[in-house]
Amino acid sequence: MKNAYETLFIVKPTLTEEEINATVEKVKEVLAKVDAELRAELTMGMRRLAYPVQKHERGYYTVFYYNAPGSAIAELERNLKYDENVIKFMTVKYSNKRELAQFEKQIAAAKKAPEATSEEAPANEESAEA
Amino acid sequence: MAERRKFKKRYCRYCEQKVEFIDYKDLDAIRFSLSERYKIMPRRLTGNCKKHQDMVTEAIKRARQVALVPYIVDRKRVIENPFELIK
Repeated sequence: MKNAYETLFIVKPTLTEEEINATVEKVKEVLAKVDAELRAELTMGMRRLAYPVQKHERGYYTVFYYNAPGSAIAELERNLKYDENVIKFMTVKYSNKRELAQFEKQIAAAKKAPEATSEEAPANEESAEA
Repeated sequence: MAERRKFKKRYCRYCEQKVEFIDYKDLDAIRFSLSERYKIMPRRLTGNCKKHQDMVTEAIKRARQVALVPYIVDRKRVIENPFELIK
């Protein structure tokens, strides 16, 4: 029996882009290992934190939407806890009918979003070069 | 009692927009129910219905956990329009 979950985690802002990507990939690998079916990925990017966390003022937000058995969560959170590059994480379960409908909606929205960001990304690179 | 009721009748803003679920990442939806000091506004002031107040409360508490919304704002921890500060 697989439930619908959403996990948000914040990566340290002091890392380089490659290191951030490596951390995100690592979490993805853990998800694959614990028999989770990744539905969508939402990158919120570098944001200002509302309050300092481990003396960091900013953080890199990533959200994963996935279906997984309940036992997978303990293993995933254990991995996130031991990862020094992750400063905060939260898992939300979508259980009742209304929440599940919203879950599907958010997956659709998250799948649309990367296209928009990919359009923006080259523009940013160009401006950086200029 | 009748004399004291001077403010106009309020309606639930979320009901008008037919919101089914409030996501904690959607700060625009949450914002309406927060005071200037980022406290959760009571129902008697916002006019939210019970159903949507419960939803928004849960969303705000989740947003606080992941540092999207501050727990407190005081003289030590002043935050200037944090909603706009994305970078």
